[in-house]
Formats: sequence, C-alpha cells, structure tokens
Amino acid sequence: MQVQATQIIHAYKQAPWRVQRQYVGAFLLCVIVGSMIAALYLTVTARAAVTGREIQELRIEITSIQRANADLETQLADLTSTAVMQQRALQLGYRPVQPGELEYLAVPGFVAPEPGILLDAQDVASFERIIPVEYTQSLIEWLDERIRFGGMR
Amino acid sequence: MRQQYAVRSLFLVFCFALVGLGIIAQMIRIQNSEQASVFLSQGDLYAGEFRTFYPERGEIYDRNGHLLAGNRTVYEVGVSLSDVRDPESVAYILGTYLGLTYEEVFNKITNSPETWQYVVIQDYVEAGIAASLQELIQQMEGVDDYRLDGIAFKPHYQRSYPENSLASNVLGFVTRDGRGYFGIEEKYNDLLAGNPVQVWVPSDPNKASDIPRVPNGTTLVLTINRDLQSRVESILDNALFEYGAVNGTIIVMNPRNGEILAMATTPRMDLNNYGNYFSLYDDGSQYNRSIGTAYEPGSVIKILTMAAALDTGTVTPQTTYVDTGSIQVGGITIRNWNRDSWGQQDMTGCLQHSLNVCMAWISTQMGPQAFYGYMERFGLGHRTGVDLAGEAMGRLKTPGDSDWYNVDLGTNAFGQGVTVTPLQMLMAASAFANDGKMVTPHVLYSMLRDGHQYNVPSQYGGSPISSQTANTLSEMLAISLESEASGALLPGYRVAGKTGTAQIPTEYGYDPSSTNVSFIGWGPVDDPQFMVYIWLQQPTSSIWSSETAAPTFSKVAEQTVILLNIPPDNVRFALSSR
Repeated sequence: MQVQATQIIHAYKQAPWRVQRQYVGAFLLCVIVGSMIAALYLTVTARAAVTGREIQELRIEITSIQRANADLETQLADLTSTAVMQQRALQLGYRPVQPGELEYLAVPGFVAPEPGILLDAQDVASFERIIPVEYTQSLIEWLDERIRFGGMR
Repeated sequence: MRQQYAVRSLFLVFCFALVGLGIIAQMIRIQNSEQASVFLSQGDLYAGEFRTFYPERGEIYDRNGHLLAGNRTVYEVGVSLSDVRDPESVAYILGTYLGLTYEEVFNKITNSPETWQYVVIQDYVEAGIAASLQELIQQMEGVDDYRLDGIAFKPHYQRSYPENSLASNVLGFVTRDGRGYFGIEEKYNDLLAGNPVQVWVPSDPNKASDIPRVPNGTTLVLTINRDLQSRVESILDNALFEYGAVNGTIIVMNPRNGEILAMATTPRMDLNNYGNYFSLYDDGSQYNRSIGTAYEPGSVIKILTMAAALDTGTVTPQTTYVDTGSIQVGGITIRNWNRDSWGQQDMTGCLQHSLNVCMAWISTQMGPQAFYGYMERFGLGHRTGVDLAGEAMGRLKTPGDSDWYNVDLGTNAFGQGVTVTPLQMLMAASAFANDGKMVTPHVLYSMLRDGHQYNVPSQYGGSPISSQTANTLSEMLAISLESEASGALLPGYRVAGKTGTAQIPTEYGYDPSSTNVSFIGWGPVDDPQFMVYIWLQQPTSSIWSSETAAPTFSKVAEQTVILLNIPPDNVRFALSSR
C-alpha cells in the first residue's frame, strides 16, 4: 500500500505537464523580473532626462539672473554717481560744507571705520556641486551603492 | 515521428542562429567600416557642442564701496538663416531698429554662404533696443504672425563706467576684445578678466553633467576715495582755467602707508567712449601724467638735497651761508631764480627763499658720491613700483654717465637736469612725513574672489634718512611756509611744503617764458595724514609756483581734511589731551 502511494507521488512529480509548468513558471518569473528592471530603468532614465532638462533651464535662468544683477548694480551706480548726487544735492538746497562750519565731537570708544568687505561674500564652496548624485548615477551604480552601503549613504 | 520533428526543430534553430550570427556580423562590420566614422561624426554634430564660458569681468570699487567699473548686458543681434520665413520683413525691422539700411541687412540674410546657419547683423546692441525688438516679435507671434522668425539675440557683457571720466587716468579702459588698456584695467587685466572655460555641453539631457563653475574675475577695491577724487579733479580743472595752464596733475596720498587717495590729471576721457582716445592723447605717456610723464621739477627737489645734507651732517638748520648771488660749479656760474644775492641765510632761509646758489653750495659740500647716493636712495631714476600700467622712470644722470658734467652736481641740487614723475617725488618725500621711511605708492586696497578678501599690505621703499632728519626737515619747511605767509597755508592746520618753479628745457636751452610749477606739501606736521603733489604745466597768469601751485595746494588740503575727517590742530590736541 505504501509502495503504491510512493509510486503515485513519483508519477505525479514527474508528470510531463508538471515539468512544463515548472519551465513556464521559471520563464515567466524571468520575464517579470526583466520587466520590472526595465520599467525601473525607464522610470529612472525618464526622471533623469526631465531633471537634466530642468538643470539646463535653471542654468539659463542663473545666467540670466546674474546678468540682471550686473545690470542693476551698474544702473544703481549710474543713479548714485558723483555727478548725479551732486546735482540732486544742489536741487535739494544743499551746498558744500565750509571748514569753519564743521564741528568735531569726541565719541568715547569710536574707531574710524576701515574699508571693509564691500560685497556680501558668496560662499561658493557650497555651490560647487549643484546636481545631486541621484540625477547623474546609473541604475547599476545606484544598485552597487545600495548593496555596498545598505541604503545608507 | 518524434525524431522527425526533432530534426526540423534543430534545422529551424540552426537557421535562426545563422540569421542571428549574420546580424551580429553585419553590425560589427558596419561599426568598423570606413563609413562608420562618417556616421559617428555626423551624429556627434548633433550630440552637443563645445561651449566657452567667459567669466564676468571683475568689478572695480573705490575704498568706500562705490562702483567705478562694472558690467552691463548688451546683445548680439543675428539671424538664424534656416528659420527665416520672410527676409524682407526681417530686413526692414532690423534695419529700422538697429539704424542700418534695409539693403545692408537684406544682403546679409540672402547673400550669405550656403554653409552658414547664422549671420550676425549687429553686435553691442543696447539692452533697451533689444528689449523693444523682442517685444515686437512676441506681439506678432501672439497674433500668429511669424514673419520675424529667425531673429536671434545673444546677450553678453560690456564694460561700463558709471562715473564716466572720473578717475579715468587711474582706471584705464577695456576694449571690445576684452583687453584692458592703461591704469588698473591693464595692470590687473588677468585678474579682472578671469579664466574662460571651454566645456562639452551634450544635447542629450540624460547626459546633463556638472558644467565646471566659471569663477568671475577678481573684484578689486581701490584706495581711491571717490568723493575726494571728484573734488580734486574739480580743483584741478578750475586751476587750469584760473591760471591758464596747459595741463596739470594733482595726487593725494597717505604718506603713512602709500595709499593713493586721489590722482587727477588732464585731459580725462569718458571711459564709456574710449574711441576718443586718439583725439585726446598723442601718446600713451600722456594718459596719466602722474606716472607717465617725467619732467624737470625744479625747486621741489631742494627738499631732497637739504634732507641729504642734514642726514650726512654736512649742514644743520642753524648753518649759515652767505649768498652772493652766484656760485661756480664745474666752470659754470649758477645764479638764483631772481639773480639777486640774499646775504647771510640759515638753511631754513635757503629753503624759504628757494636759493639755487645755496643748494649748489650744499651739494658741492656733500660731494657727488654722497649726493647721488642719497638721490638714488630717494628713488630718483627708478620706478616707484606703483600698481598702474605705463609708469615712466625719469632720469638721474650720475658721475660716469657720458652726459654727466661737473656742473650737474650743482644744477641737480635745485631740480635742473634731472627728470622725475610727480609720483616719484611723492614717494621720495613720503620719507619726511613717515619718520624717514619711504612708502611704495599703491592704488589697490584689496581683492575679492570666491568669497575671500585679500588686503594688499603696505610696502616700504627703504629708509633714505633718519627719523630725526625727517622731523627736522618737516619743521624747517613748515617754518618757511609760515614765515613767508605762503598761499599754501591752511588755516587751523600746520602744513609743510615746498614750491617749485622750473623753466622748461628745449633744444635751444631753457625757455625763459614758460615754466612748470609744482608744489609738494603734507600735513598736519605733527601727525601727517595726507601728502599732496601739484604740477601745473605752463601757467600763463603767473609763471611762479607760489602764485599758482601753492594756493591750489591749499584748496586741495582744505577738501582733504574735510573729507578725511581730520580736525583742526587745536581740536585734535584738545581731544587727545582728554
């Protein structure tokens, strides 16, 4: 009875349809995994492409803002130039001070200001790499990083 | 039956494998064929482009943060030939807006070589004009009118000088090719211009990569005080008008550290229209006469002679000299400026009356070795090293030179036969106002780049005389000004100084009718904070420095103490004694 049952199990395990199903299953698994990788790759690539385009546009915008900034600085300097300021002062009723009209006061602790840093110094070091690595690394590089660092960077 | 199918299957597998192999072989063949390189190069044409990123030229500020040289956007207006739909409309509009003829623009568009994709119509178009054009194009596109398609705008920077001609001799200018000429713009051209970077920019956004940061050119901060510069230029212009002088120069320097606070010369040029250069100047040396033109300064050099004599112990302030009105040096008779004899004089009197004979006596007493040794230590015949382009060296003939004669020892002592630039004299005299130490004059206060500021340290040019000699000479000069009630005096402030009236050498000897008048002075004497040099060329209202350059010094000193917040001596002493 036990022998017969064993034979049935063996027959079931080795049934041709069952072997075929195993092959089909394995094949489908490969297809699904492949599709998932392809979908993931396409998603990442598409996002990288969109971001790349955004970066290009931002670069153009940065250049444009820099130009506008330079223009405004020069425009401001034009409006506050010596000749213009003198003319405005005269129109407002001012006149150059005469030596006898000056009064000097002693202010304890006052130190005459030295020429300081004239520009708001831009900390350019923090802008040196403006594109995060997520936008430049390939999928393989990303996987490699995840495997090696376990999701922690 | 099963075996028959197996054979067929194998045959099919073989066929497919063969086709596959054939495809792979064909791919390899194509990729390695001669045509492959052509295809690749054609593909590369559209894959991206090499682009050169030019940094923004560094700005130039005065010491109080006023912009002296900046940048503004201008446009290159061109036409993308393949995008043009209606060349007549494009030519008409561009011609109207850019001030060109219709034919000129139309010919450029229609007669360009076939290989050209783009043609420049006009460069350096003002931003306002470009904006009007862009607005018109947008309006037309808004109503589906595309007749102006193809017009392209490429923005770029152009140097701009908000103060126009102010300090033009110090700043220099930048031409359209981006190169600086004269002054700061030439001297620091490499720093200001920065380094252009050429990079490959891919068209494929997937390949977007970091474009290397192109740092702007270094921003420079000058020691110049814009307001003082403006006042000094105004005083100089008025002096030229009042005294009928041909040209002039005024320099204001801090004798403690060599910072040049103002440097005015004539003629000045509107830096935004540098095309006028050739109509204003005959040669480059005239652009900034403070440093570029050497001349015989006359009696101002007597302060160097006297300092050398005091320092060597040849004379003291109390030494007396009986002036007979002439002296023989090297077989030549030297006389005083008015050909009179002044009798017994002490050394202060020699300076006060500016006696040539006395000075010639002093130099001969010192001897050529000591005299010329001191003149060289004062920097005569050497460049000052100022950080401006185009500095002249001047000429100091010394024994051994083929054109040096014994009489030169006498004449050099009162400023004849020796040439200097105004700045050389200022540097030499800085020793008197700085305890015997000469300062190297400079215009650059600091540099700013990448968020860092580097302040330029002061440099000393040697100590030709002792501190005691410097103080003694300053006192002698202050007394001499006070004794003669000089026009150089400034009420409330004790100043020291010396006039100089020099005849102008020509091919036929000295011109008796025209002079160069100079004045060098500093103050306050007990704590010098400014030193001024005046040079007026060929004044016609009076040929004497005491009547032209000396009063001009007083005016400059007056404005200087106001703008530098230097209180009168009595106020200063009262404040310091608290």
